[in-house]
This record gives sequence, C-alpha cells and structure tokens, in this order.
Amino acid sequence: MNSERNPETLALAARFARRELRGGLKGFRVFLACLVLGVAAIAGVGTLSSSITTGLRENGQVILGGDFDIRLTHRPASAEEQSWLEGEGRVSRLSTLRAMVPSVKTDKRTLSELKAIDDFYPLFGSLTLTSGSGSQAPQVLLAKQDGNYGALVEQSLADRLGFDLGDQLRLGDLTLDVRGIIATEPDKASQGMALGPRMIISLDALEETGLVQPGSLLRYHYRVALQDGLSIAEFRSAIDKAFPDAGWRIQDANNGAPGIKRFVDRVALFLTLVGLTALVVGGVGVGNAVRAYLDGKIATIATLKCLGASSGFIFRVHYFQVLFLAIVGSAIGLVLGILGAIIASGFLARALPVPPEISLQASPLLLAAAYGLLTATLFSIWPLARARDTPAAALFRDVVSRHKWPRPIYLGALGLSFGALVFLAIATSRETWFALVFVGSVIGIFAGLMLVGHGVQYCARKLPRPRVPTLRLAITNLYRPGAATKSVILSMGLGLTLFVTVALIEGNLRHQVQDQLPESAPAFFFIDIQSNQLDDFVSTAESVPGVTDVSHVPNMRGRITAVKGISAADVTVAPEAKWALRGDRGLTYSATPPSGAVVVDGEWWPEDYSGPPLVSMDRGVAQGMGLKIGDHLTVNVMGREIDAQIFNLREIDWTTLAINFVLVFDQNSLRGAPHSELATARADGPAENELFRAITDKFPNISVIRMKEALQTVSNILEQLSSAVSAVSSITLVAGVLVLAGAFAAGHRKRVYDAVILKVLGATRKDIFVTFLLEYAMLGLVTSVIAAVTGWLSAYLVVTQLLEAKWVNLPLTILVTIAVSVTVAVLFGVAGSWRALGEKISPVLRRTD
Amino acid sequence: MPQNPIIKLNDVHLTLKSDAGPVNILRGIDLTVQPGETVGIVGPSGSGKSTLMSIIAGLEAPTSGSVLIAGEAIETLGEDDLARFRRENIGIVFQSFHLIPTMTALENVAIPLELAGRADAFAVAAERLAAVGLKDRASHYPSQLSGGEQQRVALARALCTNPKILLADEPTGNLDGKTGDIVIDLMFKLHAELGTTMILITHDDQLAQKCTHVIRLEDGKVVAPVQAAEMAKTE
Repeated sequence: MNSERNPETLALAARFARRELRGGLKGFRVFLACLVLGVAAIAGVGTLSSSITTGLRENGQVILGGDFDIRLTHRPASAEEQSWLEGEGRVSRLSTLRAMVPSVKTDKRTLSELKAIDDFYPLFGSLTLTSGSGSQAPQVLLAKQDGNYGALVEQSLADRLGFDLGDQLRLGDLTLDVRGIIATEPDKASQGMALGPRMIISLDALEETGLVQPGSLLRYHYRVALQDGLSIAEFRSAIDKAFPDAGWRIQDANNGAPGIKRFVDRVALFLTLVGLTALVVGGVGVGNAVRAYLDGKIATIATLKCLGASSGFIFRVHYFQVLFLAIVGSAIGLVLGILGAIIASGFLARALPVPPEISLQASPLLLAAAYGLLTATLFSIWPLARARDTPAAALFRDVVSRHKWPRPIYLGALGLSFGALVFLAIATSRETWFALVFVGSVIGIFAGLMLVGHGVQYCARKLPRPRVPTLRLAITNLYRPGAATKSVILSMGLGLTLFVTVALIEGNLRHQVQDQLPESAPAFFFIDIQSNQLDDFVSTAESVPGVTDVSHVPNMRGRITAVKGISAADVTVAPEAKWALRGDRGLTYSATPPSGAVVVDGEWWPEDYSGPPLVSMDRGVAQGMGLKIGDHLTVNVMGREIDAQIFNLREIDWTTLAINFVLVFDQNSLRGAPHSELATARADGPAENELFRAITDKFPNISVIRMKEALQTVSNILEQLSSAVSAVSSITLVAGVLVLAGAFAAGHRKRVYDAVILKVLGATRKDIFVTFLLEYAMLGLVTSVIAAVTGWLSAYLVVTQLLEAKWVNLPLTILVTIAVSVTVAVLFGVAGSWRALGEKISPVLRRTD
Repeated sequence: MPQNPIIKLNDVHLTLKSDAGPVNILRGIDLTVQPGETVGIVGPSGSGKSTLMSIIAGLEAPTSGSVLIAGEAIETLGEDDLARFRRENIGIVFQSFHLIPTMTALENVAIPLELAGRADAFAVAAERLAAVGLKDRASHYPSQLSGGEQQRVALARALCTNPKILLADEPTGNLDGKTGDIVIDLMFKLHAELGTTMILITHDDQLAQKCTHVIRLEDGKVVAPVQAAEMAKTE
C-alpha cells in the first residue's frame, strides 16, 4: 500500500475529538468529579505547605531572632566566645528556662516558659504588646522601677492565674510587676513545644531570682545579626574552626523553625499521598466512565473505520477527548485546591509563626496537574485500547474484538504511566522510605482488592443456587456481565481501608495519650531540684498523705557530638534515630540498673566501677546509629567532651511515662559535673493538689510539670492534626462513593430491563426491590469486611512497628465502618434502582426490540 | 477488449464460532463484477447478504477463499491497510445511515476526504451535499434531519472520494416508500454520472431489478445469478 505521509495527523485527530465532544459531558460527570477531587486535594495541600515553607524561609531571621542562634545549655558563653561572636556582628543575649510562677493576688501558680532578654532583643522583628500595656518600649517596662522589676506575660498566663495588668507575680526570690501583655513575640516559633504560657523578664531580673543554680535547666542563647558581607556559610565554617568543642547548638535563619518545617513537610507528604490515593480511587471511576462512554461509541467507531479510519487514529481521537477532559478536571481541581488552601490558611494563621500568605506556587500545582493527567491516562488506556480494536463489522452484528488484551504497545503505555505516577510520588517526597511504603501498600491493597473482586464473582458463580428466588437473583447479579461488583469493591474498598487505617491509628494514639495513662504513671515531674534540696524535697513530698513512689535521678543535658569518632553532623543514621542527634538530651548516671530498665544486651557495670567512662544506651537508638556494645560515643556536657564506651543496651518502654534516659553513664563519669535532680511522684485524688502546693510553696525554684496538663497539650496537638488527616482521608471516601454512584448509574439501563422482565414473569415490585437490596447489601458487606480487615492490619503494623506503641482494639470503629458502608452501598444502589421499579413494561420492551 | 473485474470472489467461505457450535454463514461464494456494473444482491433474512457485503468491503475476513477487489487481494491485508484501502476505493451506504451524531452534515460528508488528507475536503464535501440537494442543510446535525435527508448525506459521504465501488446495504430499509424512491433515484443518477460500480443489497426484488445483474443468496450460497431482465420476465 502507499507509503506517503500519513494523512491521519494529530491535528486531524484533535479536530475529530473536538467534534465528538460536542455531544456534551453527560457521561463524564463522575470522571470530572473524581479528578477534580483528587487534584484539588493535592494542589491544596501542596500550595498550603509550600506557602508555609516559603513564609518560614523568607522570615527566617525574624523567626529565629537573628541570622544565627547559638544555644548553650547549663553554661553561658565564655568571655572569649562572647567577644568572638561580637566580632562577627550584632549580638543579643537571652536565657530561657521553665519556672513556677505564683500570682501574689490569687496565690494560684503554674509552670511558665520564661525568657530573659537584654536591651538588644529582638534583633529582627518586634515584640509588641496589647494596647492596654501602654506605649513604653518593652525593655523600659522590664527595668527596675520602684524596687520591682517588670514582667511581660501572655494573656493565657493572666487568665490561668486570674491576675490583671498591674498585679504582681513571684518568681523565685523576686516579686515582679506585670506591666504588659504580649501581643506578638517574633521568635516564638523557634522555641519548640511550650509546656506553659510565656513570661518575659530582663536578664538582670533573672540574676536576682535565684533560679540560676548550677545544673538548672537554663539555656543561654546568643543571637547574631551578621555584619554586612559575611555569609551564613562563612560564619558557620568560621565558628566551627574557632570553637570546635564548644558543644553549642547552632541554628541559622535558612531554617529558623526546623521543628515546624519538619512537621509541615511530614504532614504535607502524608496528605499528598492520601490525596494521591483519592485520585487512584477516583481513577477507577475515570476508567468506568471512559468504558461506558466508549460502549456508547461503538457505532461511531465502527463507522469511522468503515470510512477508512485506522485503529491508531481511533485511539488518538478518543485519547484526546480523555486528555481534554482531564485537563479541564485538573484545572478545576487546581482552582479549588488554591481556594481550599486560602481557606485553610485562615484557620492556620494563629498556629503558625508567620501567617501563611498563599501565593501561586508552580511546583505543587504542576505536580497536582501531572498526577491528574497521569491518573486519567492510566485508567483510560485499557478501555481506549479495547475500543480501538472495535471491528468495523460491529455495525452489522454484535461482534466483539478478538483481542482480549490490549496490544503490547498499549500495555507498555499503561506500564509507563503507572511507573511515572509511582516515580513522581516517590521522587517528589523528601522521605523516600515513607513514600515507598505508602505507595507499596496502596498498590498491594489495590491489587488485593482486584483479586477479591474476582474472587467474589467466582464464589458467587460457584455457590449452590439458593431456593429463595430473590436471593438467587441477587447472587447471580454479582457476576453477570457488566456487574459493578469489581468497581465497587475496588473503589469503596480502597477508600474505606484508608479510612479505617487512619481512624484506628488516630484512635490508638488518642487512647494512648488520654485514656491509657498507665496505672503506674507519675502525677508530676519535678525538675531543677538542687542537690542540696533533694533530701528536703523527698521528705516534703512523702509527708503528703496519698503520695507514693517518689523517685529521683541526677539530671543534666548534653549533646552527642560524635558517633564512633565520626562527627554527629557527618554520621549517617536511620531516620527513626535522628532525633537523638538533633539537640541536647537529658543524661543521668547510675551505679545500678535504673528501675524498670531491661538490659537486653551486655550487662550492668559493677557498683564499684571506677574506670574509663561507660554508657548504657537505648537499643532502638543504638541500632539506628549502627552502634553495638564496645563502640564509642562522644557526648559534650557543659563544654566537656566525654568519650564513653557502650557497655550495655536497654529496652525502654516509653509508654510507662517513668523517668527514662537514652544515655545512662556510669556513676563516676558525670559525678563531677554540676547537675540538678529530676523527680517523679504518684499522687492520688486530693493528694495531687496538696503535693503541688507543698512543693511550689517550699521550693520556688523547682518546676513542676503536671502530667495531665502535658498530656492535654499533646492531645490538643494530636486532635488538630487528626482533624486535618481525617478531612483529607474523607476525600478518598468521597471519591469512592462517587465511583460507586457512577458504577450504579452505568448499570441503570440493565436494572430497568431486569425489573421489566421480572415484572413480565410475575414478580412484584417488592420482590424486585428485595433482590436489589440483597445484592447491594452483600456488596457493601463484603467490601467493608475486607476494608476493615486490611485497615486493621495496616493500622496494627503502623502502631506496633512504626510507632512502637501498644495496640488497643477499637471494635466500635470497625463496626461503625461496616455499618456505614453497607448503608451507603444500599442507599446508593436502591436510589439508583428506585426508578427502575416504576418503569412501565411495554415502552421498555419496545425500546429493546 | 475484456476488462479486469473490479470484484472477484473465489470460493469464499465464512464460518463464525458460537457457543452452540460453528455457524456457516457463507458457503463457497463465487462472484465476478466488472467495473461500472450495478449488481443487486437479494435473498431472505439470514441468507448472508450483509456478510457478503462486509467481505467485499474488507470489514470481515473470509474463513477461506480469495477476495480480489480493484486488483488487490484484500484477504491478505492487515486491519489498517484495509481501512486505507476502503478510504481509497469503497463507499458504503448503510440501512441505519450511521452518520456521526456530533458532526454536521458537511462534516459527516468530509470525513473520508479529511482522513485521506485532502486540503479541499470541505469544498468537495459542500459540492457533494449540493449534488444530493442538501446544500442548505450543511450545518445541520443528523438529529435535525429527516430520515431521507440523513440517507442522502450518507450517500454524499459514500461518494465524495469518487470510490471505485459503492456498497449499499438496504439503503431504503429505514425509509418510507416515497423517500426511499427519491434516494434510489439519486443513487442511480450519481452512479451514472460517476461510473461507479454499485452493489445494492436489498430485500426488495423490484428494487434489485434496476441493477444490471441480480444475485440471489440462500443459506450462504448463490442460488441464482440472473440478469435483471430475466428476473423481470419470470415475475
């Protein structure tokens, strides 16, 4: 035949596609809805997180409080260190610690996050006070006036203790006048988790409180605004060179709030993957819609073939239509995603250091659009490839293609788009391992559900025929040609599985934090107990009736600076152990194994050991760092480097909330270092308040952390997080329901025909209704049971293996899921079939002649 | 000088598989048609008329036998080559018109020309529409046209590339008598003007008599290749 240029150009295919689309979008409503939903979720999450991250980066100096924050624990910078820092730029000093603050007026007291500032604070941004606080500068308000220093507090401290502006607070040995209520504190985000409201005083005031004691958990910050011409990298290398062993933690403004950024990145990654799952669920709907659309196009396709169109041309014409609709769906999704991000940013504004300013971020939008187009392509290739093989002779009689499988080139394209989706999901995530596991699980569950779909149809076919006609019909409907069984199990199943997984994980965490407080959990943590106060403290605590288990250990802070001789900055550790290297950690020493510790490798050192430093380490962290018994770990404690040999490994059960340390040194290594004591105590009922009052009255320097309040803080954070996760997970469920509705709608004509034939044969409307009801109930039940089992398994693995927490069975969550999904399946099914019940017989029979 | 036949079928069989066993639809058809001839194929329902047309159009491949159309042994061609072959050599008119519902009359007529890469597709299509008397209906969609008008659009579409062969499968089957007559007259008029070979499949013996040759099929076999004039005499 001819070998000239193929006249069936892409432009011609696009022209034909455009003409075909004149038929309207009627069959594509579910297609569009599924794509819009998934793309909107991904675009929204991406835009929001990207805007937050950009905001954090652009405001890095303000959030951090300088170009650099140099932090030392327990000790201030030496004169030499300080003068070196001052040579590099402007320096502002501040100190932070936690302290108990009683109100003079009400005698109520609470733990406060205390910050003592100098005259230069803040180097960037500004500390603002509420309008009632007057117009004087903060430093003026903090200075000594009429014999008292001033204090600036957050409104929540005033609310909690019931005092007003102008009232007095006690802090250690000092009485302070409350002279201002803090409206904005520029560098608050860089401080980490707060266990109480903020109070700001001057450095001079701090000196006079008596809270600065050897070993007290005091942090000294040196904020540096670099002089012009000095870059962050230059400063970093200079400071590392000048003071390699200072043991300070250095943070720069490129990442002013690493905790928040890490949190945002992680949540965004998870939510993006959930959005992608919604898109994949929606993909089933996309595939169904394309298949149904092409089924209605058989005559057109066959006609075009009769008129000389090649199969490839047919594929291109219809793929262009899919692509066009996918572009429309993705574009709507992008717009809705951006709108969603703007709305969500309003809610998040208070929780973030800089209110997120939503701007059009190219990369998350491009990513969302790419996901949308790839999903549409992935799920439409199969039906499109089958349609291209529609024989031209289909115009004359019902012939089907001889090709059961698409040709290799289309299978290749299928593999390519699948690979591209997986690649995008993994390559664009910062936590490759997590993305891999998530994508792998989704693929596994998807494949499993496909198998289940086939299995259900196979079983329905093989089941002995029940005598009850309605049940018999309902069962045979499950495997009839064109039955929605597989689509429903796949789409609803995946959405439900994710939902059950998230609900169970969230339920378990909530349970863990709120209800699962171990019987042995202490009521209080007491920190900063001076060694000379210890005996008095213990006897005071034990003298309160109902107080038991008062235990204490020496406590100091130190940073791991080297692992097996390799600097902590350069060493490669597993993601789950990274936290141990991030900042300074609590350390202790002990001659005997700490109570509750289980030594799982090696043995405890002798009580009279007096050799080189030894350390006992948490097994999980040691494994994450690739350490074993005999390896060396270097820890900087108050500027002194201690190189200790790992002597044994312990298994720590963190969920008991007892005092536990990752690192426990032998009794000699740290004894010389100034330190405070950390204590816990159990107190039942009224003893709790009595103990609190007894200790805070007698020891103003001891900070008391009430376990319930700390857990409530964690619980609140968890609650906010879980609502975001639940909201996005619900999108997957909505996608599943959309697919379900689409699948049922596609089967409507068959339902009408069935109903009419059954009526002709003498069935009443009730009989037909019961048949449909049974069919949908069976589908809903099978799907939800599978989803419940798979979701339970996934959640169990995450909770026990990933989070290493105790598993709590939550049967109610599972039962509710099953009940809801059966109801949804029945409602949608019956709603779709309701009209079929009322159809008149003769018009339908005439139509199908 | 004898011409080469435009259609030559030699011992063509077609057997389809079905759940109930193989079904023999065509059982050894021999057919020779010279260029420019008109051939009516008649026979009862299920006799294999439409299948025979499908074989000639290359829409269906014979189980055995040879099919030589316009000098090409089409049973050896692949699917896409067959599509190109049809584009260049064959026009088809269907009983159910089979216009593309989302395209206007003009666009429907232009399809084969566009597929052939003709730059003047729409100009030629407009001429053809005018030739079937539907110049004013060019921008109408099939749903806005009567059955007769739709079939005239289909006829214009079938003939727009000046095909060597026009296949018409029960072209009046879905039309009332008067409209059917108009369409048939138009078909024969255009055949006369263009010199196209025409194969007309019909139930209607009277209609078949308008052709130069009539072939009667029964149970997948040619039972009586007769001249139309002779058929008229026997009635």
